[in-house]
Amino acid sequence: MKDKIDFRLLGALLRKQRQEQFSRIGKGKFDFVGFGMRVVLILAFLVCFVVFFGRFLEIYLQVKTDYVLNPSERLFEILTAAYTLVLVLMTVGAVSQINHALFAADDMRILAALPVGAKTLYLSKLIVIYVGQIGFALLTVLPVNIAVAVHAPQGAWFYGMTALTCLVLPLVSIAIASVLALPYHAVRTALKNRFALHFIVVTLLTAALLFVYAAVLEAVKELLLGDDLKYFFNEAVMDKIAAAAAALYPANWMARFLLGQDAARNAIFIAVLLAGSAPVSLIAIRLLLMRALQSRISGASNFIGRRKTLRRPHSPFVALLKKEFLTIFRTPNYTFSYFSVAVVMPLMVYFCMSVGSSLAVKLIGIQCNAELAVFLTLLFGSLANMFCTTNISRDGKMFFSVKAMPVDARTVFLSKVILCMIVTAVSQLISAVLLLATGYLNVWAALFLFASGVLCGFAQVCVATKIDFRHPDFSAEADGEIRESGNTVSTVVVLGLLASFLIGGAVLLVRMMLSLRGLADQYAYLTYLITGVIALGAAAAGYFLLAHRLDKKYRAFDGGGAL
Amino acid sequence: MEDTQKPNEPEVVLDIRGLCKKYSKKADYAVRDVSFACHAGEIVGILGHNGAGKSTILKCLEGMLPFEEGTIAVCGFDVTKNPVAAKSNMGFVTDDHAVFVKMTGLQYVEFMADVYKVPANVRKERLDALEKVFSLGESIYNLISSYSHGMRQKICMMGSLIHRPRLWILDEPMTGLDPRTMRAVQEYMAEYAAAGNCILFSSHALATVAKICDRVVLIRKGEQISDVNVREIRKNDPHFDFEEYFLQHERQD
Repeated sequence: MKDKIDFRLLGALLRKQRQEQFSRIGKGKFDFVGFGMRVVLILAFLVCFVVFFGRFLEIYLQVKTDYVLNPSERLFEILTAAYTLVLVLMTVGAVSQINHALFAADDMRILAALPVGAKTLYLSKLIVIYVGQIGFALLTVLPVNIAVAVHAPQGAWFYGMTALTCLVLPLVSIAIASVLALPYHAVRTALKNRFALHFIVVTLLTAALLFVYAAVLEAVKELLLGDDLKYFFNEAVMDKIAAAAAALYPANWMARFLLGQDAARNAIFIAVLLAGSAPVSLIAIRLLLMRALQSRISGASNFIGRRKTLRRPHSPFVALLKKEFLTIFRTPNYTFSYFSVAVVMPLMVYFCMSVGSSLAVKLIGIQCNAELAVFLTLLFGSLANMFCTTNISRDGKMFFSVKAMPVDARTVFLSKVILCMIVTAVSQLISAVLLLATGYLNVWAALFLFASGVLCGFAQVCVATKIDFRHPDFSAEADGEIRESGNTVSTVVVLGLLASFLIGGAVLLVRMMLSLRGLADQYAYLTYLITGVIALGAAAAGYFLLAHRLDKKYRAFDGGGAL
Repeated sequence: MEDTQKPNEPEVVLDIRGLCKKYSKKADYAVRDVSFACHAGEIVGILGHNGAGKSTILKCLEGMLPFEEGTIAVCGFDVTKNPVAAKSNMGFVTDDHAVFVKMTGLQYVEFMADVYKVPANVRKERLDALEKVFSLGESIYNLISSYSHGMRQKICMMGSLIHRPRLWILDEPMTGLDPRTMRAVQEYMAEYAAAGNCILFSSHALATVAKICDRVVLIRKGEQISDVNVREIRKNDPHFDFEEYFLQHERQD
């Protein structure tokens, strides 16, 4: 029988997915504070982006080539670059979402057994992915276009076509992602259950991405330190930018279309691209569906433990600690979010230190390595520790099973906090050693930085665990894996950012004021005093917050009806 | 806790008195005034229709859920006042077969042995004995995430028995098991209770309950409607039809 799309079923499947998305709201389980923090975080990021991007645009539009100003060509270049970046991000997201929808989503297990055609099923998943991608396009394209409109006023065409761009970009990204999803799945299958190899590969890839980021940072530094922008955007650089913009398909077509430059011709190019990619995507999707169905029939690929004899006994605490480690290490998403990020985060500290240190000397004439190191260590340390916001949720229903075991609340929570602290300590140690080895800090400053980083990390882990305990977000999927960051993450990120800006800002301010009065060397200890006192206070407060009446709260915990 | 045990009466392993549980302040009682005791050597079944409150009673007893009123004592230890000691004497198998899926079967059993502080010198012997009953074979070295429903059930049971608890609690234990394992589990339950332990389990399988239980506690809408000594009745009336007895109680609703 031919597999046709059943639109009534399609509607039912979409309603089911919508209900699942909004099922938590209005049932007393929704973390409104966390959601508010998430909105604030996104808005703050967008405002910062519009302001800084606008400033850059103002400068870039004044760049001359062959002694001639050409703002429309500069706009084309900048929009091409921006849309390329947006398209890459959207494609990466879509590849991951398509794979999850087909191979990991729990509802596929049920739906595969129901009389739902493969095309209808896949289309329902694609529509949900498409809607999500439109949301992402709105969040990324709109700020870029708003900044453009502010600094280079455009006509009605630009505004009207901006909306169209947000609808078309996801089609392009999904078309590309459909083709890439198959090789991506092959790589994932090859790495599945090879946990150590997966960790190494993912860590190296993350580090490579950071090196690219460092190159961008270096360029920004050059840009800011350069005496004359014309010197930075010289003829050679501008030739390279023009050549790159001409080669960055299909973003350059979108940019020309949006700017009304050869609009009809570029619209045809985009339409041909979409029409041409459709059959390729359909073939790829067919192959993916076959793989997905086969994997459901044959079951998960197996992992066989090497040890076949009983090991020596551990204490309940060590057993719980080992359980925490195995849960993270044997879940690829968790390994990336926590272990890989924690290992490569010191690189970020180092890159930002190398840029920030010379910028501070050049722009404000003050040497403030210790203060900058404090700020960067706390900032990136707090970002690396975001994963501890799932300390309770990632146990899923097993949290209740552990509750039924003869272990007190302190041991259960301590095992979670200690694992996070081991990761934090390793990350902070690498940061301190890196800054010591590259000469930014002396031995004592590096030791101090390590200690204060660990103390602040402890405070963050305690607070995050406490918030997650109050608003656990247990996964409904069979493996209990959490695939989307909850609102707790936003709360902890906001708190981490605030703390790092407050402490880092305070010591930088003190250093600047003392430098202006020529007292910087005499009162250098103030940086250590302020940071040390705040870090100690934060650690004590975090511990108190988590440990206060913990036993009673643990006994009374019912997960808000999750059981 | 007040000692109510009479001389020559088997040891009270579980004592539930006036248990009441609400899921929220505004909600009705999910369990209201349930009281019964289980003795050493007994197999006690909890029966009731879907949503009657059987699993809630077991979860309160295991310490997974808090409860508003009443007391629960295991081997004389109050589960709220002395939870670690009470839980040390329990082993449980939940209805959703929750296990740490990122561990291998062997790692899970070792984890349970560590948590319940099972001495090193008895672990191998106990594991081998459990392996004979549940026959997981080489699969015990595989990741639990690759296990079938029935295999997860088996590893849950193995983990719950490694410390040889005085009270073994099972929520729907026969679901997903193959007939051979089901038979082996029933025989093991009888053997385990005969060794002086107590088994409390909930089930919908009336035939299983009738066959292996000494006593049955019937629950309806959260309330205990009877506590039947099936063994006694069977002794007096060999043709006693437990299924008919249960359905009659249900029809009274």
